[in-house]
Amino acid sequence: MIESNRKSLCDVTLLQRSLSDQLSQQQEEQLTSHLSYCDVCRGKLESFAGDHDNWQRVCAVLRNETSGEHSSSASPTSLIPNPHLSNPDDGEFYEGAELKPSDFIVDYLQPAESTESLGRLANIEIRGFIGQGAHGIVLKGFQAELNRLVAVKVMAPHLASVVAARKRFAREARATAAITHPNVMPILQVDSSGQLPFLVMPYVDCESLQQRLDRDGAMQLSDVLRITLQVARGLAAAHAQGLVHRDVKPANILLERGVERVMLTDFGLARAVDDATLTHSGLIAGTPHYMSPEQARGDTVDVRSDLFSLGSVVYAISTGRPPFRAETTYGILRRVTDDEPRSLCELNSELPRWLECVTMKLLQKSAEDRFESAERVAELFEGCLAHCQQPQAFRLPAEIESLLPRSRTKRLQRRLVVGGLIALFALTLSAITLWANQIPHSAQSQASDSLRSAPTASSPSTDSSPKPSAWQDGVDESLRDLETDLETLLKATELP
Amino acid sequence: MSPLETRHSLIVRLKSEQNELAWRDFVCAYERFLTQLIRRQGVPDRHVPDVIQQILMTIAKSIDRWQDDGNAASFRRWLTTVSRNVTIRFMTRERKQAGAVGGSDLIAQLQQIEDKPDEQSVRMYEHELIVWAAEQVRHEFLESSWKAFWATTIEARPVDVVAKELGLSTGSIYMSRSRIMARIRTRVAEVSDDD
Repeated sequence: MIESNRKSLCDVTLLQRSLSDQLSQQQEEQLTSHLSYCDVCRGKLESFAGDHDNWQRVCAVLRNETSGEHSSSASPTSLIPNPHLSNPDDGEFYEGAELKPSDFIVDYLQPAESTESLGRLANIEIRGFIGQGAHGIVLKGFQAELNRLVAVKVMAPHLASVVAARKRFAREARATAAITHPNVMPILQVDSSGQLPFLVMPYVDCESLQQRLDRDGAMQLSDVLRITLQVARGLAAAHAQGLVHRDVKPANILLERGVERVMLTDFGLARAVDDATLTHSGLIAGTPHYMSPEQARGDTVDVRSDLFSLGSVVYAISTGRPPFRAETTYGILRRVTDDEPRSLCELNSELPRWLECVTMKLLQKSAEDRFESAERVAELFEGCLAHCQQPQAFRLPAEIESLLPRSRTKRLQRRLVVGGLIALFALTLSAITLWANQIPHSAQSQASDSLRSAPTASSPSTDSSPKPSAWQDGVDESLRDLETDLETLLKATELP
Repeated sequence: MSPLETRHSLIVRLKSEQNELAWRDFVCAYERFLTQLIRRQGVPDRHVPDVIQQILMTIAKSIDRWQDDGNAASFRRWLTTVSRNVTIRFMTRERKQAGAVGGSDLIAQLQQIEDKPDEQSVRMYEHELIVWAAEQVRHEFLESSWKAFWATTIEARPVDVVAKELGLSTGSIYMSRSRIMARIRTRVAEVSDDD
């Protein structure tokens, strides 16, 4: 019986689709365990990937390449896996060959004038190495004539000859120069005339949100709110200039040490909303974990694309992992466009339900379903932070409360309110009755008539006693109004 | 206009809009491949942009000789063949006159060298193509997948041993390595007509 179950899992189309990472999470898990024992499917999968000659040829070339027998290459390849990384759950993608700072200093810096510095780059004394990303390295520098410390971002040598990369660099400089905001890292100087273009920024003692995340994992709610709020403000400033950042992710968010300030950086992909000259280049730089569905599809994007990415950041810092994960960058992009992420609260039960609702609203596939602007998001997160710090004094912003599914307690509260209104209504009624004691019979019967059949309030009264008609009409009307209000209220509290 | 700018806007007048698009897409992918190839041929960094420019110009000039046979994919196939030939000619020239990079006469020289492919350059070209594709593909996969692929295919180590070492299931290793192979072939096909 087990045998027949196993057979039934052999599915050729599934194998073919798996090659381009097009399976759902569940299919992927099933197929993976199936491949652990099914020789037939393994064989088929390998033949779909390439025939015997293809496998042989590729393996021979790569083996030859890394064994040092291949003599023509002046620069070595970066194919050999990184031995320091072994945890498959790290979800890390290879970001590019390590550029050794020492090599860089020897190859590209002019000799130092003082003993303190490692070398010179234009008018900057280089004093140290801060870090490196996929596109370049960041050095610590000192500008003597201005007596200030700076961070110098130098383009990676292998990119300096690529047109798209130089353009990207120039764009970053232009874009950032247009924004002055405490939550946006400013650019002090740009130099793209030399061999390697570079940008000069103020030197700030900071670490990236990604580094913090790698070290400490998921963050506390108040930190999540504080950081998101500031990123949203920085984004609002960029959006006000008509710029879409397009690369909002933890690695591009800097946390200043000692100060609770958060800064958005790396506007390298930023572009004017209406700039259609640079359509999708097909270049995915680094991880696509934080891309919006419209970006993943290569559609035109507007400011709301940044809101989706912001949602992914909120998700990642509150749970410790990005919302969409897969084995390949393509697989991630497909999940970004097609899949719903796992519930935030399921991954971290300490998180309030409203944070999940806000995050999911940011992560809506269709831009129209997200919040209207970064500014609005900043306002809302401000309200959330106040609520989180002093729940008694500050209520959750109404817009956020309205995102919550109506819970049992909420319904109960509403029932109580309605009950109170009915009591009030009854009280008003009796007051009217008392006040109109001159004509006790008719008023009372009229009132109860109205309650039963308000629209027919004009039905002829059977009462023979005299009644001041004008006064009578007034009561009728207010009774009818009250009844309509009551009905609306009751409807509003009905089960969804 | 800087040489870099010119290179990016190598304007080719083609009758069909589809072919123009195909040309631009191809140049975008091919430029990246060329950059790596030329650097790996030992051309100093400062000459790399110039050499790429000249090779692409040579390819662009050959487009005058392109005859449309109405077949949608034929332009693309023709383009990859021309690019391959021009690049192999460049490699042959480099091999014969070690260090003779750049220079404004490169275009003329590349057009003069006869179309008889030099065997060693052809092999080198194909080698570079696979290495380039593998490097591109590596970025697309989780590092743990790449490790599994490398250990079980290039180093030919047993799948179950590697699975234990990396904390992966054997099934996921079979899946990953086939995915990687399929992607390498797709990448190669983007700049060549071999597949």
